This record gives sequence, C-alpha cells and structure tokens, in this order.
Amino acid sequence: MSHSPSAALPVGHYAYDDVDRTFLKQRVAQFKDQVERRLSGALTEEEFKPLRLMNGLYLQLHAYMLRVAIPYGVLDAKQMRVLAHIARTYDRDYGHFTTRQNIQFNWIRLEDTPEILNVLADTDMHAIQTSGNCIRNVTADQFAGAAADEVLDPRVYAEILRQWSTLHPEFTFLPRKFKIAISGSQQDRVAARFHDIGLIAREGENGRPVFEVFVGGGLGRTPIIGVRLRDDLPEEDLIAYLEAVLRVYNAHGRRDNIYKARIKILVQALGTEEFLNQVNAEFAAMDRARYRLPEATVEAIRARFGAPDFAPVGNAAEKLAAQRKADRAFDAWVHTNTHPHKQPGYCSVTVSCKPAGGIPGDVTSAQMDLLADLAERYSFGELRITHLQNVVLGHLRQDALYDVWQALEKNGLGEANVGFITDIVACPGLDYCALANARSIPIAQKLSSRFANADLQREIGPLRLNISGCINACGHHHAGHIGILGVDKRGEEAFQITLGGSAGDGDASIGQILGSAMSEDETVDAIARIIDTYLSRRTAGERFIETCRRLGTAPFKDAAYATA
Amino acid sequence: MDRRNSRRDAEGTSVITANRLLDGRIVWLAADGQWATLIEDAKLYPNSAVEEALKACNARAQEEALVGIYGVQVTQTASGPLPVTSRERIRAAGPSVHPDFTPDWHAPHPAPYA
Repeated sequence: MSHSPSAALPVGHYAYDDVDRTFLKQRVAQFKDQVERRLSGALTEEEFKPLRLMNGLYLQLHAYMLRVAIPYGVLDAKQMRVLAHIARTYDRDYGHFTTRQNIQFNWIRLEDTPEILNVLADTDMHAIQTSGNCIRNVTADQFAGAAADEVLDPRVYAEILRQWSTLHPEFTFLPRKFKIAISGSQQDRVAARFHDIGLIAREGENGRPVFEVFVGGGLGRTPIIGVRLRDDLPEEDLIAYLEAVLRVYNAHGRRDNIYKARIKILVQALGTEEFLNQVNAEFAAMDRARYRLPEATVEAIRARFGAPDFAPVGNAAEKLAAQRKADRAFDAWVHTNTHPHKQPGYCSVTVSCKPAGGIPGDVTSAQMDLLADLAERYSFGELRITHLQNVVLGHLRQDALYDVWQALEKNGLGEANVGFITDIVACPGLDYCALANARSIPIAQKLSSRFANADLQREIGPLRLNISGCINACGHHHAGHIGILGVDKRGEEAFQITLGGSAGDGDASIGQILGSAMSEDETVDAIARIIDTYLSRRTAGERFIETCRRLGTAPFKDAAYATA
Repeated sequence: MDRRNSRRDAEGTSVITANRLLDGRIVWLAADGQWATLIEDAKLYPNSAVEEALKACNARAQEEALVGIYGVQVTQTASGPLPVTSRERIRAAGPSVHPDFTPDWHAPHPAPYA
C-alpha cells in the first residue's frame, strides 16, 4: 500500500539539472557577497534593501522574515524536511504557509541568510521572485495533476512561466509586483480573476491547450475583478501574449504612485478596449517565431516532471466505506478534507493547518517532518501548499486514508474543517508584519474557537472567512464570503467586516464593507450574529454566499450592529 | 519611514528605537548610550528633543549596526514606558500570539517553540 517515488524524477515538480543548480549556487554566492558588503558598510541600507528583497528577505516588525518560494505550491518530501530543518535550526521551530503557496520564517538573522539559501539550494529551492517588483511565484491549482475535473496539468505551464520570468531582463523592475495564477480545470481554484494575469487552460480543437486570459484583477486597496482579454489563446502564443501584456504594463504602468502602480489601475485607466488594442498591437509587432512556444519545448519540460505510478487498488473503496461507517469522526474528515481524484481508488487530501484556536497556516518543524513522512509513504513523496494556507497530499489510495488521518490527528493536523468557517485565511498581521494596522491572528483564533463545534460548522456549511491586517489584503479579505479588515483608529486596532466576496468558480465578487470598524471582541460577536441571521433566513440547501446575494447586505448589517 | 512611526504630540515623551542590522531584533536607546533589548531600559526624551537625538543616532547607525531608527511616543507607567500605539506596544512586548517570544531572550538561537 505504501508508495515511494517511482523514478529518479520528483513527482509533481520540475527536476533541476546542473544549469539550474549552478545558477542557484551563483545566486547564493552573490547574496553572500552583498551581505558582507552591507555588514562592512560598503552598501548602505538603502542600497542593500532591494538586493535582500530580491532574495526574499524582509525586515519585519521583530526580526528579518525570509519568504521561501514553493513554485506553483509543489514540493517533495526531501524539500519539506529541509524547511523543517531551517525552522529548527535558524528560526523558532515553525513556519507560516502563505496565500501565494510559499512559506515564511519570521525570526531569521541576516548573517544566517546566505547559509540558509545555500541549504535551500542543495535541495533545489530558493527565495527568488518572492518579493520585489517582478513576476512573483506563479500559483496553480492545489489539485493539479490529480483532480477528477482537470482538463490538463497546469504545473507544466507554471514551470514554463517560471523559467520565462526568472531574471527576465525587461521584467525585473516592473512598476510594481506582478502575480500570475494558472488553473487546468474549469473550476477556478486559483482565484484567476483576482490576479494580474489569470489563466484557465482547456483542451483546444487540435488536442493542444488553449488559455482563457484574465488581466487586471487584484485585491489590495483597490479590489478589481480581472477582465477577460482572450478566450482562446493557443499554447504556442502563451509566452508571446504574456510578454505583450507585460510590455504594455511596463511601458505605461505608473511608477510615480505606488498605490496606482499595479496593472489593474492601468487597465481601468485605459479601459479594457484600449488596453486590449495596445496588447494586440504589441503582439502583432513582435517576432512571433522568437517567442513561439513549440509543442516540443512543452513536452521537454513535461518530461522533467515525475508522474505517480498508480498501483491497482483492489477493494480500497470498500475498505474505506467500512472505515467511514465505523468511525464518525473519520467519516466527517473524509467528507470535508478529501477531493475526487482522476485515478479510480485514489483521492487527494487537504490537511488542515487551521486547528481550533490555532494560527492559520503555521506549522511546526515536527509537523513538517510528519507531512514529509506521510507524503513519502503514501503520496509518491509529493506535497502541495494551497493558497488557502493548507497542505495537500495529492495521491492517496482510499484504503490509506484511515492511517493517514490517525497520524494527522495525533499531531494536531486532523481538523475536519476544510471549506468551513474555521478554515480561516489570515495574514500574519500586526503580530509580525511591519505594514499591518491590526493583528489578524488573535481574531482568527477567537473565531475558530467560537465556531469550533463540528456539528455547528457542518450546519453552517461552506463559508470562506478571510482576514487581512491592513488594506494590502494579503489575507484576501475582499474575496471572503465574510472578510475582516484590520484598520488603525488613532493608533488602536479596529476591524471592518466585508460581506459577499468570492474568488472562484466563475462567480468572483468583491466583498462590500458593512459599516464602521469595531473592536476585536465586538467583531467576533458581530460575525456570530451574522451567522445566526444566515441560519434563520436561508432557504433549503442555500449556501451562505447565496443567501448574501439573495438578501443583500442590509439584514446582515442590522445584525452586525445590533448591539455594537 | 512609515508615517505612523513619526506621530508625536508636541507635548509628550518618547523613546528611541531601531532594529539591529545583524538579526533585525528591536532595540531601545538606553540612558548610557547603549542599545537595550527591553523598553524598560529606554531613555525618555521630551518630544521637543527627539528629532535632534534621532539625527545623532542616524549618524552612528552604520557604526552601531542599526537600521530603521525612529522615535516612539510613550506614557510613563509604574512598570516603565508604555507606547501609546498598539503597533509599538507589540514591538515592545513581542508577538501577542506567542507569549513565549518576549524580547528578553539573549541566546543566539532560542529554545524551540513548544
């Protein structure tokens, strides 16, 4: 029943070669030299800051924070163990999974950073494109290569985009950061419409992929749903077209005002039609042969990805059914935390990093090691980090689920709450972040404790609750069915509630602010009253977001401010 | 510098803070001219004198391996200076969600978080 990686190629992610490894080592040596020059005073802080940011190193509230890239959210067991090692050796024994499928370490020392990057490079990892005004880590569907509803595996294209964008000479100093997401399923699990560029792939008439292209979406202080520029972009034009979009942005994006520098502002300022005209003009003027993405290149990249070697599963489904019948808690976990797999007898598991009263997305080094062990034993050595701050084991035999769940349960990772109100997305907030106005984590902890009862969560049903500690919206509060935004009220923390946001499935919407900001405890109570209103006003089978859309915000606003 | 960091009343008292270059940790300028890890040890300045003191600190920043030097308005309490904003109170006390991560640690690599 156990699986180990079936071949030399890592399952689920691109296998580096000597060129990639040499590049990483050169990059580490370059940063080591930059750190030495900063410490000697040869570089001022002003000169050094952009260099450290290019290597994922921020100076946060209490210490340096290192953001390590997990390209398209996929890593292998060996890499997860290295992250655990970094947490144990150089940090305070934990890491924080982010909404860009990366991991952050909050207590890093500048002088240790070159060595940490060296350790990462030894396992084909890095911190490149995790900061700065460049094309950031491309995100992808957490069920890529596994989902029953998948049309094609987006990770190959995410890797192509990574290789195209890393050190791209034109796009290293963009007006502002640039985020791309890609899905290979018609179910948008990547929030494509809230990205600078969102791509949804499907199979074209010739059997090769075509891409739906959304541009100019984003959250932050100006939340905007992206506009569809193309419905049928052929695979061979993927790079050329994105290059054209980036060139228009690079040429006309505002560099004079950081708050108006994202592509979404440019698209709105020009209007969709004019923006599209400019992209098309750029596209038409390009040397298309030079930028063509040939099928052979795609297949060469694909060949560097290991694939799971699925074994016959026998009576796995029957065994799972019997185990679910015998154990109600296990049955509840299977119901919420598994996702249909394309391979009969298998499923994907979402491991919740959101225990009741816990810190969303935080995982200890021991938990990282456990996840690596489980991946190695049961899921071909492959793991994925989700943009909702959970971890996915992509390919589990159904008759392995009970063993996996028991191991997760024993180690604080067995919460059966994926997609429920306690599956909260939260940025680090003012407890760590230098930009934050308010703490995101304590209010998340209070809410997940308040709604911890499993029966209550099931009764409430699917609900996305997202929390950001400031208007930069790293916690994607606008995209939450319920969103919480931390604000600064004359030096004190306060919280606004938004309602009716949604990220995916073709129904993207931006949450609307209910009213004035409240204290932390008032906000928790207000959300409890909003939930009560939903439970009393919903129609049979109606999800929270559907009730919000049917009723509008008025009854929820009345409830929220009833006693505040 | 963040606008919030320089919010100070005309009348009032402030302390001076920075991050250490080597490890990023928060420090406070003490009366003896050293940089202390605890706000309790910070020297109090009338707000009218803070900008002058900041100028002098910034001139020595590289030599003293410091970054991000600024003044923080405080009130005086029995247990020492207390920043007036929640942001600075969190900086002074450590992350509220990890009471074990208070600033009064000295080991280069603290004991693992349990």
